[in-house]
Amino acid sequence: MKDRLMFQNAPHVRQSESVVTMMTDVIFALLPVYLMCFFYYGARSLVLGLCGAFFCCAFSAIGSLLLREKPVPDLTPVITGLIIPLLMPADIPYYILISACTVAILVVKLPFGGTGSNLFNPAAVGFASVAICWPELVFRYPATMQSIEVFGETTAKFAQSPAYSLSLGAVPDHNVLDMLLGSAPGPMGATNILVVVACGIFLIVKKAVNWITPVSFLVPYALLCLLFPRIGGSPFDALCFELFSGTVVFGAFFMLTEPVTSPKRDFGKLMAGISSAVVVFLFRYFGGFEMGFASALIVMNVFSPLFDAVCENILHVLRHGDSIVSTFKAEFDRKKAAKEPAVKVVFEESPETEEIQEVVEEIDLSEKEETGEEAVQ
Amino acid sequence: MSLFFKGILLEQKKEPMLTRSTLVMRQEFEYFDCDFPDTPLEELSGEQVIELTRLAGIVDESDGKMLWEKLEKANLGEGGTLIVDAIDDEPYISSQMSICIHQPEKLAAGIELCEKVLSPAKTYIAMYRHIFDSNFGIPSKIGKYHVKKIGGRYPAESRVYRHIPKGKNSVIVGACAMLHLARAAEESRKMTSCFVTVAGDVVKNPRNVEVPIGTTAEKILELCGLTEEPETIVLGGSMTGRAIFEPENETVGPTTRGVIALARSYGTYSYTCIGCGRCDHACPKALSVCAMRKFAEAGKLDELQKYDVSMCIGCGACSYVCPSRIDVSATLLKAKKQIEIAKKEGTL
Repeated sequence: MKDRLMFQNAPHVRQSESVVTMMTDVIFALLPVYLMCFFYYGARSLVLGLCGAFFCCAFSAIGSLLLREKPVPDLTPVITGLIIPLLMPADIPYYILISACTVAILVVKLPFGGTGSNLFNPAAVGFASVAICWPELVFRYPATMQSIEVFGETTAKFAQSPAYSLSLGAVPDHNVLDMLLGSAPGPMGATNILVVVACGIFLIVKKAVNWITPVSFLVPYALLCLLFPRIGGSPFDALCFELFSGTVVFGAFFMLTEPVTSPKRDFGKLMAGISSAVVVFLFRYFGGFEMGFASALIVMNVFSPLFDAVCENILHVLRHGDSIVSTFKAEFDRKKAAKEPAVKVVFEESPETEEIQEVVEEIDLSEKEETGEEAVQ
Repeated sequence: MSLFFKGILLEQKKEPMLTRSTLVMRQEFEYFDCDFPDTPLEELSGEQVIELTRLAGIVDESDGKMLWEKLEKANLGEGGTLIVDAIDDEPYISSQMSICIHQPEKLAAGIELCEKVLSPAKTYIAMYRHIFDSNFGIPSKIGKYHVKKIGGRYPAESRVYRHIPKGKNSVIVGACAMLHLARAAEESRKMTSCFVTVAGDVVKNPRNVEVPIGTTAEKILELCGLTEEPETIVLGGSMTGRAIFEPENETVGPTTRGVIALARSYGTYSYTCIGCGRCDHACPKALSVCAMRKFAEAGKLDELQKYDVSMCIGCGACSYVCPSRIDVSATLLKAKKQIEIAKKEGTL
């Protein structure tokens, strides 16, 4: 019996969920989105996804070899590699995808300490960097329902995306149902709103994602779009166009909820969600590019430690509420006692005047003594 | 604070230990002589009860203190509450609850004696309610004492204090100590045994046993039988106990609540913290566990103190939920000890 006994620390029962199950949940949630891409654009979308996942894994393996660490079977690069192609058009050249993966892993993730230590969302930075370098290729969307060649030169028909029309202040020529089903042109994975929302709900039910983040982002964003529409017509139409175009819904479920770069507590997540809704709205309202979400997410990632600190300060006050109040009270009493002389209450023509006065003075004295002692302590 | 109370839901796994009767290991009982041997129980005075507890050497299993010292020092004042602790909120452990269920008369007699010393305005027995794998109904009354059913998530023990009216004193005593008090008064028997739950997935005959203090863990496991070689043997509760290497030398004491033999250790992953924040949500004291662990690993004791690491109760909820299986709770407790040492030395 003695030989087999192992050492382990205190809780001897543990949850069966682990990092691996959380990551596989996210990968499973991304698969239906890829199926929709295959339906609309053909096999090239699947090859793009595999390519992204492979290169992200390869880069992180190279990184751990360079750092002379033991490679850990880690699924986070797979998720990064699967998300990046979904933000891009289906006919994106492979070298752009690979450079996005390079930036995501070798610039954003590894120099800061690998998984769990990155400051920014790797997928968002990878996409934003290639969007700045090759804007004419990244924001040129092919029309749906055509099979794009897997290799070589692509000969796809192009169409204007609703997000671009909105940025020009024009009403998009797609109806809302098309945009829900994903047959409007746009980023490969982000246009299939219904599928994305279903996958997001799957993630929430599996508890891989906290429901507060997407809800606290989408609701204020929808409110802002209702209040300040960019296009004419009925406000409901404007709201639908704003919400369903671009990568807003996809990002809310898959990018904003990334555990590493988001705040830890519910209240912090709420604050981060609301403020990123405002920032995304400002980026899309005033920004020149139509990729408001990724850049806004990078900006908001900077603030998540701040939201954590705010939560910690609030909780600190709640934990020490009584002692903080009593110290303030003691300080206040001491100042008051130093400034004002004790108030003398005089009752005229009363038989007990003297007694009352004595009692009042006694009380004042005892109060002074008490506060004095506390101040000394 | 209740707004932020989270805790964790645990599978209690208390069956079949709870419904089976207590197994008593063969032992010789020791008896003591007292000056008032023939006094009936009803006529015993408060001082006599304290004398009985002192002679019997009863140790309170809920905090490890001598019961007579506790009773002597306790001053409930007006409207005070006496709480009998029978909350077994850790998985597998049911030694206190089984006493409430299988030996209620003796328990009630013990509480009655205890009431003579403390004269509380209100007395109740606290038990954990959310045991979903058991069909056993928790009684609403034991003797004449009301049972307060504490529900909710683990750890439930800290929530007992919520039921006490504000500004009133309270004393918490263990259920096993009350049982021993009744035995001391009725049979003049010394406290030489303790109640231990023997459980785990490799134990052949899991049940609550009464064994002499000082029995080794190996003997207790032999008494109940093992189906296969365990990989982990735990002395104490499944959430707060410690793993042992030498079962033939480790003995049970009055505060030991269980001996648990598990087929597998949970194993360690080589993953780093991904910052999911589940530990922050699980913490019953609403501490920022995730940030504190990073400070503890970096050795920043002054920062840790600002984050109130001294309020950590070591319940282990953070380690339980961690998807990377990091020993968060152990790290924090170690840092807490370091801070205490540094404070004593005056370096902090």
